[in-house]
Amino acid sequence: MFAKRLLMASVLALSVLGSTAIHAQDKLKIGIINPFSGSLALYGDQLARGYEIAAEEQNAHGGVLGKQIELIRGDAGTPQQAIAAVQRLQDAGVSAFIGTYISAVSNAASDAAAQYDKIYWDTNALAQDLTDRGLPNFIRSGPSAGLFGEVATKAVVELVAPALAKSPKQIRVWIEHEDSIYGTSIADRERQLLTQAGVQVVGVGSHAARAIDLTDSVLRAKGATPDVWLSTSYQPDGTLLLRTMRDQGFKPPAIVMIGAGDSPDALQALGADGLSGLLIVTYPAAEQNQAYGPGGHEFLETYRKKYGRDPLVPHPLTAYVGAKMLFETIAAAGGTGPAAVRAAAAKLNHPVGTYANGFGAKFDANFQNTLALPTVVQWQSGKLLTVYPVQASLPGTKITDLPRK
Amino acid sequence: MDTAIPRAGEADAPARQTPTIQRTGGPASRPVWPHLLGLLVLLLPIYLLRGNPFWIGILAFTYLFAGLAASWNIIAGFGGQFSLAHGVFFGVGAYTVALLYLRAGISPWLGLLPAMLLGAVISALISWPTFRLRGPFFAIATMALNEVAAVFANYFDHLTGGPRGLLIPFRAGLANMIFVERWKYALLTGMFMVLVVIVSLVLLRSRLGYYLLAVREDEDAARAAGIPALRVKILGMMISAALTAMGGGLFAMFVRVIDPPTLFSLQDVGVKFALLTLIGGMGTIWGPVLGAMLIVPLENFLRTWLSDVLPGGHYIVLGLFMILAARFMKRGVVGAYLTLIRRRRA
Amino acid sequence: MDTFLNILVAGLLLGGIYSLVSIGLNLVFGVLRVVNFAHGAVVMVALYVTYFFYAVFGLDPYIAVVLVVPIMFVFGMGIYWFILRPLQDEPMMQTFATFGLLIVLQNTVLAITRGEPHSMNTELSRLVFSIGPLNVSAVRALSLVVATIIAGGLAAALRYTLTGKAIRGLIQDRPVGVLMGINVRQMYTLCVGMSAALAGVAAALLAPIYSLSPGLGDDFILPAFAVVVLGGLGSTMGAYFGGLLVGIIEALAGFYIDPTLKQAIWFLVFIAVLILRPSGLMGRLGAEEVGLRGNA
Repeated sequence: MFAKRLLMASVLALSVLGSTAIHAQDKLKIGIINPFSGSLALYGDQLARGYEIAAEEQNAHGGVLGKQIELIRGDAGTPQQAIAAVQRLQDAGVSAFIGTYISAVSNAASDAAAQYDKIYWDTNALAQDLTDRGLPNFIRSGPSAGLFGEVATKAVVELVAPALAKSPKQIRVWIEHEDSIYGTSIADRERQLLTQAGVQVVGVGSHAARAIDLTDSVLRAKGATPDVWLSTSYQPDGTLLLRTMRDQGFKPPAIVMIGAGDSPDALQALGADGLSGLLIVTYPAAEQNQAYGPGGHEFLETYRKKYGRDPLVPHPLTAYVGAKMLFETIAAAGGTGPAAVRAAAAKLNHPVGTYANGFGAKFDANFQNTLALPTVVQWQSGKLLTVYPVQASLPGTKITDLPRK
Repeated sequence: MDTAIPRAGEADAPARQTPTIQRTGGPASRPVWPHLLGLLVLLLPIYLLRGNPFWIGILAFTYLFAGLAASWNIIAGFGGQFSLAHGVFFGVGAYTVALLYLRAGISPWLGLLPAMLLGAVISALISWPTFRLRGPFFAIATMALNEVAAVFANYFDHLTGGPRGLLIPFRAGLANMIFVERWKYALLTGMFMVLVVIVSLVLLRSRLGYYLLAVREDEDAARAAGIPALRVKILGMMISAALTAMGGGLFAMFVRVIDPPTLFSLQDVGVKFALLTLIGGMGTIWGPVLGAMLIVPLENFLRTWLSDVLPGGHYIVLGLFMILAARFMKRGVVGAYLTLIRRRRA
Repeated sequence: MDTFLNILVAGLLLGGIYSLVSIGLNLVFGVLRVVNFAHGAVVMVALYVTYFFYAVFGLDPYIAVVLVVPIMFVFGMGIYWFILRPLQDEPMMQTFATFGLLIVLQNTVLAITRGEPHSMNTELSRLVFSIGPLNVSAVRALSLVVATIIAGGLAAALRYTLTGKAIRGLIQDRPVGVLMGINVRQMYTLCVGMSAALAGVAAALLAPIYSLSPGLGDDFILPAFAVVVLGGLGSTMGAYFGGLLVGIIEALAGFYIDPTLKQAIWFLVFIAVLILRPSGLMGRLGAEEVGLRGNA
């Protein structure tokens, strides 16, 4: 019975494959490398939706190089799956790759794509090493861990310090991070930059994202009596940290978070009061000032129409912008060869505020977009408002509830 | 529900008196050549699939995991020690080969030897105390060791690269064990599988092999018969661990990106060896190999065609398949085959 | 001193959570001798069932528990009848099948929810008792209290009721138990059902503490195994005290050494204890001699 079904499934699959092959000539195929199964599937899917909206928009305007864009998903949650996914998409005839939610997957997938001489365009993976390793086909249109660290530092120095009526030298910061490459590399950069800015880093704590209990981490931070508790985590551990802080009566004057605290789930868990005043360094939100991110609202409209609800996380907008930037670069390059695409990318020079999420485009020697700046949002009476950079915030938006009550 | 006393061998189980030794061989008397022929047949797909990079890549993983499952089978299947610490040896092998290559420029071919040695030594150190435990206790203690190793690999970053992991740059060349042509990887891991199967064949025909089987069947009786049970188990474990470490080294050179979550994943590494072996047939020469041949391609096939449709869809099918396979092939593929033959003859 | 006390209490409360999850696992592990990989996933499913009642009918998890427990009991009986019973004589294959079940449950929930995290926020979850320097969250305290009641109640039931005696008989010596006329299938159905029902109780208590995600059960399963083995095979009070011990060691190690290392540290302690006292803290001596194939 099962074998029969399997056979039918494979016949079906092959016929689907065959039918797409017939129309292959007039299509530009791009492979999406992301986790579509496993615990991070949600985020892979969210990124893919951003790409899909970008592709549909581009196709409505005639596609790229006179061809319609076709996106093909490749499921990869681990490096070995990444290699297999790249091979499969290569067989399916893709001309370029786009991704990725997981840095380790990006690492392996881009390396595999390099062997096929295909461009790997990363919109969301954060690890610093990705651009530092000198792979000839890798371009990152989104922010790196370093850029997140930079904006987090600015949030502490430029937003929090004045609100607490202290000079940066008087500010005490506790850095908390989850212990995978994502949290570790952001925390490293934060410590470096905060120390340079003269801020006192009173402690660095790391925890496993899958830990059952984080009371120890919270009590350690509480004992250091910081002014700012600066945390990088995934969502479940971020929410658990906030709940444990509440239970333990740990109320630092300012909380700055990366990667958590800005989801519907956090609001469910802690309520509007529990989150009030919380600052989050994150991918730009579509609701921000349209003068800074022209087209963000249209993106949100399209997303709602297509998927029937709001994005769960801000990532899709940045994925969308990254894909648009890729199409633009391919069009400018006149092809998809890594060398040509890189040459075209190097020529891009758009100031901050060009794209729908406020990104600009200016690539450095390692092909890291230096104008892909995360923004800072704050919870104010149950709503997330963009507060940094100032141009991105809506008129009249002020930092409130700092120090937190 | 009114039959208070179940029929013998139904709810309770002295039914296990089927001579398990016979299943694994009655080895020495049987000829080796059918096995070697079987191995050759299994290597045939390398030639058939050489033009298809995706499937040849899957094939390479299949051979690798066939070899790894067969390595695990040496101590778990023959020796009856259900170890879930093999992820540790796998990780040790991967890190040793990668670090020797990256930091000292030692060719991975040479690096495999210290990797195997280290894997064997560590396995002996781990086994000495844990072999006091039996059955599920041993399994859970060794599973805990796998987690300990994962935490340490993440923590001691000056040695392992920590959460950043290690990245082996693509410099193709025979000496570097890095190839442009995918079929060469398949050949390499295929040879690894062949090696492990041959080691298993030789082992089953040796004194150590008989001792292992004796310990598995009844450790106390074996000891009473003068078999040094602890030494036998540790030796079996060292052989198994050395081969697992070798597989880990090959994995590192094939994937070229290694980090703790990948190497010490229970689902993808530590427990997987056991799953592949169980579905193929524990304690048999061909069980682990057939288990890998069945599951690894199936998993990739399902991932390719189902994960677009439904997130996690392919795992649902795979999980159901595992449950049904357990239900209808209680002793794995090999067991089902033997039963079939027995029925024919009867 | 204040800090130490606070850590100790935090560890104790964490221990309550571990005990809660482990007591159910212990029933299956102790009686059927099956390493049930799916137990964490069963807790996860119970959490989502609880969430379903919370989101759709606005039921507080503590009220929904009266519905969740019977649902989970039936679910557990289903696991026994469709997965474990047909593999009665093959403990390793049973383990294998529970791993398959884990994968199915986790990914079915993933497919339905698309992996979106959910939280439940109840009035009680914000309540914290401050006693001097100590901060005790009401929901965590309640978890510990309920774990204590369940452990005590179950231990008493096993000791004094006829069914309980039958189950203990099976734990101690299965063949003799069978000869004594114990209906093995009935007892096993009951145990697996109870185990899942206890997962339902655990879910109600964990609901206000954790964000739900399909992988949540995975995080619990390894500690739960360790707790069961540490406490002693089939010993309910052993699982209870084992849970508390693990919780306290974890909290102390996390605070005084390093939160990232805490799991490794208490695993090493666990292995050390196991080697010194293989039958666990409260287990019957010699229980560890019963192997995976141990029907003898």
